[in-house]
Amino acid sequence: MAFEIKVLKVDLASSKTEVEVLGEDIVRNWIGGRGVAAYLMLRAKASKADPLGPENPLIFAAGPLSGTSAPTGGRYNVVTKSPTTGFIAFANSGGHFGAALKHAGWDVIYIEGKAEKPVYLLVQDDKVEIKDASHLWGKVVSETEATLRQEIGNDKAKIASIGPAGENLVKIAAIMNDGHRAAGRGGVGAVMGSKNLKAIAVIGSKGAPQPADREKFMQVVRDKVNILRNDPVAGGGLPKYGTAVLVNIINENGLYPHKNFQTGVYDKAPEQSGEALEAKYLVKNQPCFACPIGCGRVSKLPVMEKESEGPEYESIWTFGSNMGINDLASIVTANHLCDEYGLDTISTGSTLAAAMELYENGLIKDEEFEPGPPFRFGNTEVLHYYIDKIAKREGFGDKLAEGSYRLAESYGRPEFSMSVKKLELPAYDPRVAQGLGLHYATCNRGGDHVKGYMISPEILGYPKKMDPLDIGEEKVAMTKLIQEATALVDAAGLCIFSSFGLWGDDYRDLLNAFFGWDLPTEEYIKIGERIWNAERIFNLEAGLKAEDDILPSRLINDPMPEGPHKGQTSKVKEMLPVYYKLRGWNPDGTVPEDKKQQLGL
Amino acid sequence: MPRVKLFATLVEIANKREVVIEDAKTAREVLDKLKGLYGPSFEKELEHGMIFLVNGRDITHLQGLDTPVGKDDVISLFPPIGGG
Ligand code: SF4
Repeated sequence: MAFEIKVLKVDLASSKTEVEVLGEDIVRNWIGGRGVAAYLMLRAKASKADPLGPENPLIFAAGPLSGTSAPTGGRYNVVTKSPTTGFIAFANSGGHFGAALKHAGWDVIYIEGKAEKPVYLLVQDDKVEIKDASHLWGKVVSETEATLRQEIGNDKAKIASIGPAGENLVKIAAIMNDGHRAAGRGGVGAVMGSKNLKAIAVIGSKGAPQPADREKFMQVVRDKVNILRNDPVAGGGLPKYGTAVLVNIINENGLYPHKNFQTGVYDKAPEQSGEALEAKYLVKNQPCFACPIGCGRVSKLPVMEKESEGPEYESIWTFGSNMGINDLASIVTANHLCDEYGLDTISTGSTLAAAMELYENGLIKDEEFEPGPPFRFGNTEVLHYYIDKIAKREGFGDKLAEGSYRLAESYGRPEFSMSVKKLELPAYDPRVAQGLGLHYATCNRGGDHVKGYMISPEILGYPKKMDPLDIGEEKVAMTKLIQEATALVDAAGLCIFSSFGLWGDDYRDLLNAFFGWDLPTEEYIKIGERIWNAERIFNLEAGLKAEDDILPSRLINDPMPEGPHKGQTSKVKEMLPVYYKLRGWNPDGTVPEDKKQQLGL
Repeated sequence: MPRVKLFATLVEIANKREVVIEDAKTAREVLDKLKGLYGPSFEKELEHGMIFLVNGRDITHLQGLDTPVGKDDVISLFPPIGGG
């Protein structure tokens, strides 16, 4: 049985669609999802594209296991050139959209060009239509989805769309699907907005993708589901408390960033923890497609008489501790607003936190934002007022819409932006998790945690416990390995939280059973390495320099002021040369010819 | 007399967030006393692993269960947890 990748190419400028089929050699080298998208981005020479210009491709890519019964097989990736970083963006989302895409018979939707006026794409199996979306422009995500479902006359349609933030080319805009699931990072929503593409609606009726050997595949799936069900995290803490269970443990370890990373402990953390959320707002769990874990939360919205989803750990932190805010009700509401406007929560909160530090240092003046509330740490009014202004680019919101780096730079103080490659950092202080700091500095999409989640070994003990303060070669090698394994998981169409239970050999078993292959685990990890290097090469072509692989100076030069790891700084500068060497790269961070050849690039 | 902060499911089992343990000199002794206090369900919760911090440092990177604990130390105890 030959496996292929079916690409639906849509040129919005000419309204033409076309089908491209990529053969088994591409599948063998890139698997699909984030992998094949990296291949397509390189092939299109998109590294030179203006991120918000018509020439930048916008790729929606599911993996071979998306839409199957493989545990957590509901994911898809959005890949494009990021308007935030100027480098490659790869955002990953769950829910049901990715599975629907596969059930309609597609692996990839590849969008090019720019529509003259707002449109949406309707995909019903093989039937593809580009339709007018003028009446949807300006609508928030829930209204967009509801209107579309009614119009299409199918309440099972799965929809990915942008809110007002994406329409207004806000650089921290996300693409939302299934209401509350976000392909969040790197400003992918702005790229969709720049193409005048409001939404993609998919109705799939072809059923799940067929594995090479159905019996064998189902057996492997049952085995892996069992592993996850019996794992104390995947089958216990994660479904019970959601990702927010991390608040306390990260704070107790002294790396829960507070007030724009000025320190790593917050005395009010327990009041915004997963335990507190469960007690006050949890209605029920909300799993993504084919997920036995079900970390998603349905929560009560304070004041408004309705339900929402989330907030995740990252969102609680960004609107909570990082802004000096301890009001869980305001945090839950802010998270909901970001979902509705289509904003990346991490970048939104971090940009507001940067504004707070700029204001408290006398750089932002009251007359610039009046009548808006002042940017003081702890001021919950900032949350309620500015999220709307950012999405609409109104008043001072227009400045905030550029993200924390461009905001801080406009006041001559870029060091107040806690970002790498202009993408805001997530909820862990790297002074206390050295491996994660190395990942922050080297991740191809900028300040990210999930694509090389070193918190797993450094704090949580998956796949084994490693000392968070250690900076030896073993730590660097683990960072590299986790980056590669994650690229594989993203290519396969699975959720990275499956790694709380599954590891390299399990992913090998699932993919081998699906494809009918007999590859060893190392070959699969090498595919992850190929993907990582392809993204790096894209970035180098886009102008990346070794000096971009760096953390904000505060984290390298200012010792952690308090807490259990008082005095620590990030040693990323010492780890980087070792990392480049293990990757087989030149000392200046470029990829040498022999490495490219070895990986077939 | 080290102070032990409990988290997640351990709070539900012990029905308290914090407990002071008398006469324990090592992490192991603290753990044994907690198991004695809160019974089999507490023990079961930790059978597949735990995160045991002494003053914010995981005992895995200190001396494991032999890590000494003193009267001013703060212990944070978690069942296995994850997220991202
Ligand atoms: S673990 Fe959570 S995010 Fe991942 S697929 Fe399952 S419900 Fe979705």
